Amino acid sequence: MLTIWDVIERAKTGEKIEESKFDMSIFRAVQAIRKDYNIKYDPKTPIPADDQMADEVFEAGLRLYLMVGSYCTNTGRIIKFSEEEVKEALENAPAELILGEGEDAVKMIHRNVEGSEEPIVAGGIQTAFYSDKEMMFKIYKGCAEDRCVDGIWGGVLGSIDNKYEVLAGAPSEIYGYRVATEILRQAIKAAGRPGMFIVNNSPTSIATIGLHDREKGLRPCDLFETTGISELKINYDDLNRSVWGLIHNGALHGAHNAVIGGFSGSIEGAAIVAVAGALHLVMVNRANNVRPGGIPFKTKSRAMRAHIWVASLALQALSRNTHLILDGSIGDHPAAGPGTRQYLIETAAGHIASTVSGGHSLGGTRKFVIGDTPNFGTPLESRWMGEICKGAAGLSREHANEIVCKLLAEYEEHLDNPPRGYTYDELYDIEKEQPLREYAELYEKTKEEFRTMGLKFKN
Amino acid sequence: MSDQNEKLLNELKEAIINCDEAEATELAHKVLDSGIDPVYSLQKVIGESAVIIGQKFDDGEYFLPHLVMAGDAMMAASKVLESALDTDSSIKSTVVLATVEADMHSVGKNIVGMMLKASGFVVHDLGVDVKSSEIIDKAIALNADFIALSSLLTTTMPYQREVIDELKARGIRDKFKVVIGGGPVRQEWADKIGADGYGKDAIEAVKVFKKLSSK
Ligand code: B12
Repeated sequence: MLTIWDVIERAKTGEKIEESKFDMSIFRAVQAIRKDYNIKYDPKTPIPADDQMADEVFEAGLRLYLMVGSYCTNTGRIIKFSEEEVKEALENAPAELILGEGEDAVKMIHRNVEGSEEPIVAGGIQTAFYSDKEMMFKIYKGCAEDRCVDGIWGGVLGSIDNKYEVLAGAPSEIYGYRVATEILRQAIKAAGRPGMFIVNNSPTSIATIGLHDREKGLRPCDLFETTGISELKINYDDLNRSVWGLIHNGALHGAHNAVIGGFSGSIEGAAIVAVAGALHLVMVNRANNVRPGGIPFKTKSRAMRAHIWVASLALQALSRNTHLILDGSIGDHPAAGPGTRQYLIETAAGHIASTVSGGHSLGGTRKFVIGDTPNFGTPLESRWMGEICKGAAGLSREHANEIVCKLLAEYEEHLDNPPRGYTYDELYDIEKEQPLREYAELYEKTKEEFRTMGLKFKN
Repeated sequence: MSDQNEKLLNELKEAIINCDEAEATELAHKVLDSGIDPVYSLQKVIGESAVIIGQKFDDGEYFLPHLVMAGDAMMAASKVLESALDTDSSIKSTVVLATVEADMHSVGKNIVGMMLKASGFVVHDLGVDVKSSEIIDKAIALNADFIALSSLLTTTMPYQREVIDELKARGIRDKFKVVIGGGPVRQEWADKIGADGYGKDAIEAVKVFKKLSSK
């Protein structure tokens, strides 16, 4: 079995090539491979239910990865693997992981397509920007109080003493992210769930590693993040995170984005690159739970039709052909902002697609963050994520496709001009820490609609 | 211009749009051999093919690799045509492009770079996580017209301001037009830090660069 040190050695000795040539090699390889398979995007089925196509995408993705390998941007070299090495790594990957500890621990397993087991959900507002410690505490605590989410994402304190800005790559980054993580730990304790898993990730590995502290920060039982650089790339800063995760034998999570419109050359190509990206995360980032999927570059929503198809198909391909623990998180980047109906239905389309395709949802309720707007989100979106992801468990792909098509028909035209949404203080009674009536009503009304459509809620 | 010459220029345009570098090089030589004014050819061919390539990209027909290949074909053709100009001062604007320090996001920057290239700009992409001073040194060394900065993190946006402040400190703010962009960046931020331009996406970016170059 290969180790991370073998990988790093290959990053130093592999074929040297310009980055732009590597990018184009992905395009050429996808063009060559695609012809051998019957993979076709059909806008009518954003959630396809074609097992054979899913298996072909897996095979094509594996072939692509064996052909092009991964690119290390520090050394300018290609890291390649043999088919045996990839298959061995897949066989040795865990099919279950424990997250969190004590009574709050949860087991995250390999999920099947249309699996009836509830997915694990990491809620909270991913890497959000907070105005101050008090606001941060309230939002975190509110998220942790919702039992339908299993873990919570951290964020960053926007400024120090309301005076100094937090700058990535500078000492203030270490402090800004660390403070946010310490408050997160206090908040889950205050919510009565001291052992629930948490996660945070900062721009540099040094600051991310600085988040770990049994008492005050991240613990080995929490989710460790490594970031998958599009497409099929790695750098030493990212490998720092991997080595740190491996030292702790942690649940090492990786996400890779196949760019729709990028070097995959087509929507179908993006699904193939998404599968290759998951293999890249396993082989190079050493991740033991992975998020395949993509990023559309024209529409600022991951819940756009073509991307739902790409991510759903890649998840199905990997769920059917490996026992990897998969993260879907397709609902994590809506175009619309919090507190709007479009936010709810856009994210729901992505969450439903993730769940029925074999994914958990670990990405939190992040969005296309607007400038430096702090406190841009509330616990209610986190609850929505938990309720929808879990309520969709057991739906068939056909049924889910019907729901998602209906939702798309409502929001699709508004993706380029979405409602901006509201901040915490505009949506919540800050003193009572409860949603204002209008927002609470919107939530309940929309939830009822989803119940009628066939989602199963616990309450 | 004779019909035949017009036809030749159109063929060159087609070759660029079809991403055919070899054909574009050959046709550019033919253009010179036919005695067509190279400055006119450059402006017409590059200007018009850039519009069509941009359109195809906008319509979802062209993806990034097509932009790369079309950009290469355009560069090859313009190199041939420029070789016939007596001055070595290029008529094209030079852009130094980078994602700012501590920021690893490359996707948006790459798209902007490739669109600019396919629109006839000479683009020097310095990559991601590039220090402000390095960006400025490079812009000076290349005698660039533009400095283009991408930032995707709220905590790296201040580096865009740092570049502008350092240009001022060095007394060379007026030498470059600074254009900024990236996910969390908005026009208000551009105004606040005194950038010359902002583009919300690659198509807008090209428009902004074109507008600023004609000033
Ligand atoms: C892909 C991605 C990644 C990939 C990057 C891969 C790569 N090779 O680039 C990886 C996984 C490495 C990554 C890492 C991280 N990321 Co990230 N990432 C994204 C994501 C999902 C998409 C970015 C993208 O490529 N979009 C598609 C392109 C086409 O859009 P674009 O970049 O905006 O570019 C367009 C325009 O903005 C414009 N433009 C761009 N540049 C320029 C320049 C000029 C001059 C002009 C005129 C125009 C222009 O034109 C482009 C084309 O239309 C965003 C979500 C988002 N908001 O976009 C988060 C996001 C940017 N990431 C975020 C964060 C926090 C991180 C991490 C810190 C932690 C994490 N989430 O794990 C690390 C940081 C690493 C680092 N040091 O940089 C946050 C930032 C929050 C904030 N506002 O501060 C976001 C917003 C996600 C979120 N939480 O909401 N990320």
